[in-house]
Amino acid sequence: MISASTNDIEFRSVSKSYGAVTAVSDINLQVPKGAFVALLGPSGCGKTTCLRMIGGFEQPTTGEVLINGQPMNGVPAYRRPVNMVFQQYALFPHFDVEQNVSYGLRQARPRINAREISRRANEALEMVRLGGFGKRRIHEMSGGQQQRVALARALVNKPSVLLLDEPLAALDKKLRTAMQIELQTLQRELGITFVLVTHDQEEALSMSDLVCVMNAGRIVQLAAPRDVYDHPTDFFVADFVGKTNRIAATVEADGSTLRLADGSALSIPGRSALKPGSAILALRPEAISLHRQNGSASGKFSGIVTHRIFLGSSAEYSIAVEGLGDFLVTADRSDLADGELVEPNERVVLNFDPSAAHIFPA
Amino acid sequence: MALALNTKRGMVTAALVAPAVAWLFIFLVLPFIAMLVFSVGERAPEGGYQPAFTFAQFANLPARSAAFWNTLVLAPVGSLVCLVVAYPVAYYLAVRASPRYRLLLVSLVVVPFWTSLLVRTYAWMYLLGSRGIPHLLDMIGFEDVRILNTPGAVLLGIVYGYLPLMIMPIYVSLEKLDRRLLEASADLGAKPVSTFFSVTLPLSLPGVMTGLALVTILLLGEYLIPQLLGGGKVFFIGNALVDLFLQSRNWPFGSAIAVTLVVVVVFVLLIAMRIAWKIAGTRQVDLV
Amino acid sequence: MSKSYKENAPISVEQLTNELMRLKRGSVTRRHFLGVTGLGLASAVLAHETSLFSTPAFAEDLGKQMSIATWPNYHDPATFEAFTAATGVAVEVNVFGSNEEMLAKLQAGGTGWDLFVPTNYTISTYVKLGLIDPLDMAKVPNYNASTETARFTAEGVVDGTTYAVPKNWGTTGIALNSTKIKTPVTSWKDFFQVAQGEADGRVMVHDYQLTTIGNALVSLGYSFNSVKPEELAKAEELLIKVKPHLYAINSDYQPGMRAGDAWMTMCWTNDGAQLNRDVPEIKFVLGKDGGEIWSDFYAIPKSAANKPAGYALLNYLMDPANAVKEHIANGAPTTDSRVLSLLPKEVTSNTIVYPPEAELTPLEFGAAVTLTDPARAEVMARFKSA
Repeated sequence: MISASTNDIEFRSVSKSYGAVTAVSDINLQVPKGAFVALLGPSGCGKTTCLRMIGGFEQPTTGEVLINGQPMNGVPAYRRPVNMVFQQYALFPHFDVEQNVSYGLRQARPRINAREISRRANEALEMVRLGGFGKRRIHEMSGGQQQRVALARALVNKPSVLLLDEPLAALDKKLRTAMQIELQTLQRELGITFVLVTHDQEEALSMSDLVCVMNAGRIVQLAAPRDVYDHPTDFFVADFVGKTNRIAATVEADGSTLRLADGSALSIPGRSALKPGSAILALRPEAISLHRQNGSASGKFSGIVTHRIFLGSSAEYSIAVEGLGDFLVTADRSDLADGELVEPNERVVLNFDPSAAHIFPA
Repeated sequence: MALALNTKRGMVTAALVAPAVAWLFIFLVLPFIAMLVFSVGERAPEGGYQPAFTFAQFANLPARSAAFWNTLVLAPVGSLVCLVVAYPVAYYLAVRASPRYRLLLVSLVVVPFWTSLLVRTYAWMYLLGSRGIPHLLDMIGFEDVRILNTPGAVLLGIVYGYLPLMIMPIYVSLEKLDRRLLEASADLGAKPVSTFFSVTLPLSLPGVMTGLALVTILLLGEYLIPQLLGGGKVFFIGNALVDLFLQSRNWPFGSAIAVTLVVVVVFVLLIAMRIAWKIAGTRQVDLV
Repeated sequence: MSKSYKENAPISVEQLTNELMRLKRGSVTRRHFLGVTGLGLASAVLAHETSLFSTPAFAEDLGKQMSIATWPNYHDPATFEAFTAATGVAVEVNVFGSNEEMLAKLQAGGTGWDLFVPTNYTISTYVKLGLIDPLDMAKVPNYNASTETARFTAEGVVDGTTYAVPKNWGTTGIALNSTKIKTPVTSWKDFFQVAQGEADGRVMVHDYQLTTIGNALVSLGYSFNSVKPEELAKAEELLIKVKPHLYAINSDYQPGMRAGDAWMTMCWTNDGAQLNRDVPEIKFVLGKDGGEIWSDFYAIPKSAANKPAGYALLNYLMDPANAVKEHIANGAPTTDSRVLSLLPKEVTSNTIVYPPEAELTPLEFGAAVTLTDPARAEVMARFKSA
């Protein structure tokens, strides 16, 4: 299609409002060529609006969207070198599988001859492992198969960017995981840019190489999945991406001591000075270790197990800590001395490495 | 227990369906049987019916072949013209109109039904008569334009009278149409016109077929509009029936024609359903 | 066929609304309208408020309610109100579009009519089918055979028995717009010639085989009532030849004539009088070569539920003092010289309503067979579908 060294997507100060409601404000974003970027955020955060502005279904109110370095303002969807896999797939119910897949090829001008169309459509179907399903009707296909038809339909046009709008939302968990791997593999093989919209942080983290976390119409963090998880820029990211314990605290005047609600003090070494005042201490459940309280065990907090969710090799515990509220702790069975699960109503002590904690101004 | 439940449920169903069945039986099946009986009878010397068993009435059908022919031409042509006018309206209402005003606009389509078609057709007689539209045309230089009592006036009356019946089913099917399919089409490179013919139109075909079937069937029995706006110079099956029942009182012959008309209607319906199924690729098509 | 339809004022935009409202209410003014729509069963109950205190001075118990089947706007509503006030009997009025409808309804039974208004050529059929009673003239003392015109009473008498007494009479002539048509039209022969010439596209014939075929026959020199196949074939040929030149085949000709869309039409007496009254350039002429003369009668159905009341109303209507009001209201010519003497001069001197006797001479009464003949019905169907 269009050859350009700047084969990517770029948002330049893009805002979009519907009347008085602002969906997206002042977005600046660059997607490098061949990247797999995930737009992640809760519903209403503006991620779908961004995707639709790339697809050409919405026009920015202000600012500019560029594809391959070309400004796209005013360019209708049918003239954009991108294709989309729609939420719930939006397959044409009156066409069979092959007709769905070949739809884009049939729109091409100059026309492509019928044999070539058929060849390429079947090639695309082979690619998504649906060879031989061409004559099936859409309603005869399972959800996962429909998903792959949608993928083939979008990819058959060899777009420079593939847009995916919650593509896996309608699939069951097992199928979803399989498709995650399949999508990732496909993206690597094809080498084209994928832009994925999802509200599922696990999906975003597992598939993409760049996560763009959005909230209330703005980008709050753009980073590699690991960085987003390990170094969230604010409590929203920490909370939305993965699970986190929120502990209210106050930073003392020295800039390194935290006073917690139960009056205990916590020293946070090895960091630049914190701004004194109220703060949030964020702790991942897996950053906390858990021990049965017996004579020898000592820890930072102690509490009583109120609830346990058994996850197989590990378990998730709710622990009521006096003066500090409920804590969520994930513990592998092997971490416990006897390899057994802690039972509800058992008294436990909690420990953590202060350097693993995140501290955000409240 | 399960059986008892089933029986109870069956009885409830029966109770709910019974009034409809009784209604259909009394007002559809019985009259049709009466019509069948009449159609093999003979006209009494002073008119009316006298019992007999003869197919003479059916053998006499060619005496109204012109009426059949006119009707079988008018009904599809009229409903196709209706379709051409109705589709853009339905499209506008379902796709383009602002949702704020949609309900208002849709109800405007239906409002004329609150007044009898008879009265509205009478109004058209004045509008199309020389003191109506031709008078306005005369003022801008088109002299002696005659509209009333022409086939054009009949067509206009038909389109006017049956438009809502065509608009509504098309509107419903367009409104149900998943907008993302249109976006998907555009996304795949289809220009709006191409999207319309590849996606919108095929997917609204159940509505189109419903509208066509509805209007065609009603037009097969139409007599009022040709009578009032066509000056009675064009003779349809409906007019033949009115004359046979209310004027010459040849009930058996009238019944034979009516039976034949019912057969034609059923035939038209079957063809319409066939086409709709074929296009939609499924048997889940609600036709009427 | 009876045809007194108090017509509307000339059609104007302002009155269109008014007219439509009247149509909508069911007080339909045209026979055609009813015929076409099958709305002829529309009925109106007049004078429902019966007086509690008036004790009718009748020997028999008249009951509280009776029913009459008649033509639209054929009566002065005040007549029924006065009858109710005098007798305590409420009158339900059912209006019909055609004799055929009346016949069909009566034949089907259960009408509840105690009095109805059939046209001359249907009476023998009603008698033959046993649908009407011989009249007990002792119960109609106001009727006076000696003041009636014999021509109009004749068909009420079958085999020497009186089954019906006349209400009024009329003719079927030609109404034409004299400012548009310069060729003199004095016969049905002229009518069909002008229709294909000067008035091409401007002429209306009835949507009614009796008159349309009858007048075509007359124009060819045959009887209005002919059922001879070769004569009917000639009439059919003429009608089919004329058809492309016609403005309409429609018995509802007043609007077209008033609007100037139609220049000439077959026309019943009352319509002719009304058209001429409102649009003076519309003239009404009778065919020198012939045409139809008709009369409407009162008769009592065999199935009448309240015969005493039927007789009471009939006698009431035969009272010249009441009948004269009826005639002024609906405008049809009377058959009774007592009524004629009570009518104002401007009514009796109207030559449309009361033409010179000589003009009536060539006219024929429609015959029973003319109405029921299947061959004529087929000719009409072929004419309309040609």
